[in-house]
Amino acid sequence: MTAITSADLTGSNPAPVAVRLLKLLPGLGRWVLAIAAALAIFSVLLAVKNVNPVDAYSKMIDSTFNRPRSVQEIFVQMTPLVLGALAVAVPARAGLTNVGGEGQIIIGAVAACGTSLMLGDSAPGGLIIAAMLVASMVAGALWAGLAAALRLVAGVNEAISTLLLNFIALDVLLYLIYQPWRDNPVGQPTTKELVDTAKLPVVAAGNKVHIGLFIALGLVVAVHLLLNRTRWGFRISVAGGNAEAARRAGLNVGVLVISALMIGGALAGLAGMIHFAGVEYKLRPGFGNQLGYTSFLACWLARHQPFPIVVAALVFATLSVAGDSLQLDSGLPGSSVNVLTALILLAVLGFTTKRKVSRS
Amino acid sequence: MSLVVDVMGGGVAGGTSIMFAALGETVGERSGVINLGTEGSMLVGALTAYAVATDSGNPWMGALAGAVAGGTLAALHAYLVVFRGASQFAVGLSLLFLALGLTSLFGAAYVGRPVVGFSDWHVPLLSDVPALGPIFFQHDPLLYLSYLLVPAVWFALFRTRLGLLVRTAGERADSLTVHGYSVSWTRFGAVTFGGMLAGLGGAHLSIAYANAWFENMVSGRGFIAVALVIFAVWSPWRVMGGAYLFGMAIALGPALQARGYEWNQFALDAIPFVMTLAVLAVLGRRTLSSSPAELKRVFENAPT
Repeated sequence: MTAITSADLTGSNPAPVAVRLLKLLPGLGRWVLAIAAALAIFSVLLAVKNVNPVDAYSKMIDSTFNRPRSVQEIFVQMTPLVLGALAVAVPARAGLTNVGGEGQIIIGAVAACGTSLMLGDSAPGGLIIAAMLVASMVAGALWAGLAAALRLVAGVNEAISTLLLNFIALDVLLYLIYQPWRDNPVGQPTTKELVDTAKLPVVAAGNKVHIGLFIALGLVVAVHLLLNRTRWGFRISVAGGNAEAARRAGLNVGVLVISALMIGGALAGLAGMIHFAGVEYKLRPGFGNQLGYTSFLACWLARHQPFPIVVAALVFATLSVAGDSLQLDSGLPGSSVNVLTALILLAVLGFTTKRKVSRS
Repeated sequence: MSLVVDVMGGGVAGGTSIMFAALGETVGERSGVINLGTEGSMLVGALTAYAVATDSGNPWMGALAGAVAGGTLAALHAYLVVFRGASQFAVGLSLLFLALGLTSLFGAAYVGRPVVGFSDWHVPLLSDVPALGPIFFQHDPLLYLSYLLVPAVWFALFRTRLGLLVRTAGERADSLTVHGYSVSWTRFGAVTFGGMLAGLGGAHLSIAYANAWFENMVSGRGFIAVALVIFAVWSPWRVMGGAYLFGMAIALGPALQARGYEWNQFALDAIPFVMTLAVLAVLGRRTLSSSPAELKRVFENAPT
């Protein structure tokens, strides 16, 4: 695992593994320092709120790793993050910034839910699951395809358009669950719960981890191969590096841009379906809240490389579960853990890479 | 008639927080830095303003504190982006998470607490003008401040030496260096100033418009502001018009509902975003060609 990671980070450098690992050491020190600094700053904030940081951290660690339910929860939460981060990594290789994971995830879930409603409860579970898989990926791809089309036809930057499409997707979701798809007349509006046979199978009875995790991990390998071992993967990286050079080499940059963004959208849409059919089983107003943005940051933490994405998603999922402990054991609002997540990210983003030449 | 006045007046009131933020973001982007953390600056601005106004009983102190808080968060963005070479998109989003976490950590104590906010003050004479009076001159003092801010920012950007430095940092950073100025510090200043305005926008939201604090109350307005700057082709005056347009789209739903028309609010909520996309699609290439040159580089080289 480490060997693969380091090879990915340093490019196809033929130096022996040991030498490469040695070269990573100063970098590793920076990572440790960055994360320690983030933890220290968060401790100060906890102390300000009259919470003993040592106590809070030990309770966080204890309740996150020593309870089987929490460990399962980590894997459950990690699943959509892996897919959402892959949805950022593929377009990134083509030089595109997909900030639209949030919306693509929602649209994927909406498509999955719509498909299940259309097929009805009497359809065979396997058929519903297969149809939802296809529908969510198509919907996510088309949603991202909108941004790709806007870029090609009108020159609208995809970072802006995917961001705007997030809010439209959220309004689509809310529109549907407040009116046409609403199942309960009172209380928080939700759609009808997915029929049991169409829920994603769990790995063992009583365990929350579902097969979505393995789909996600399988796609990590698939995306790695797609980006690094196929002609298409090579072409999008050429187009991402220098579009003009790619054009002169006879590549159809437009098609590459569209396909990279749509594959990203399909992966995010799949994340939405898996979160819907594996965890939530119905749509509600807060569905998938911030999954897309978290995935975007997980992908940055992993420097847009497929295998490190698994680690980044695991870290974020762990932090999120640890946030529940903060709420239960230390009486702080659950979203406080966002502070810790953000501090770690900022420290890593700002202090683990070699400083770029700043022209001052 | 009255519906139009209602919607337009509501658009001015509701669009002002967006305008403050977008005006600040205009200055930052003119210097060549995009700040997705604008949403975060608005959030910390909103909470800080609310907390200080509640504890001190003085809304002006609150607004000032909100601006300082928003500026601080933006300064962090500027530091990491300008001096550490970190990705603008990733840092901006991280700052949003930081702001969400901080405001949830420190904001819980203020949910439901009554606040001494700005109260409406009708401008003498002007507020009596038919139509224009209720639309523009029956609001709170912070909103009137924004009327002064738009020409001020325009003047500063296009008629002063400081503005020239900011714009040069965004267009021809090299020539700034040649003349012995620091591109980095110019950008740092511009982004921090932008964050202060975003903080002021948050303050307008919590202590003038809604007079309440609740978690994640900014709910996307900061992102609208970032989009609006592009929509407005980096011009302060167009930012003003655009912000009111957005405000009106938001105000349309409740105004219709109050008159007994049944509308699904969420269909209306989507209008501003669809509108922005449509305008960008129409103006796309034109806006792109008039964007600050250094900003173009950010967009085209986003992943490193």
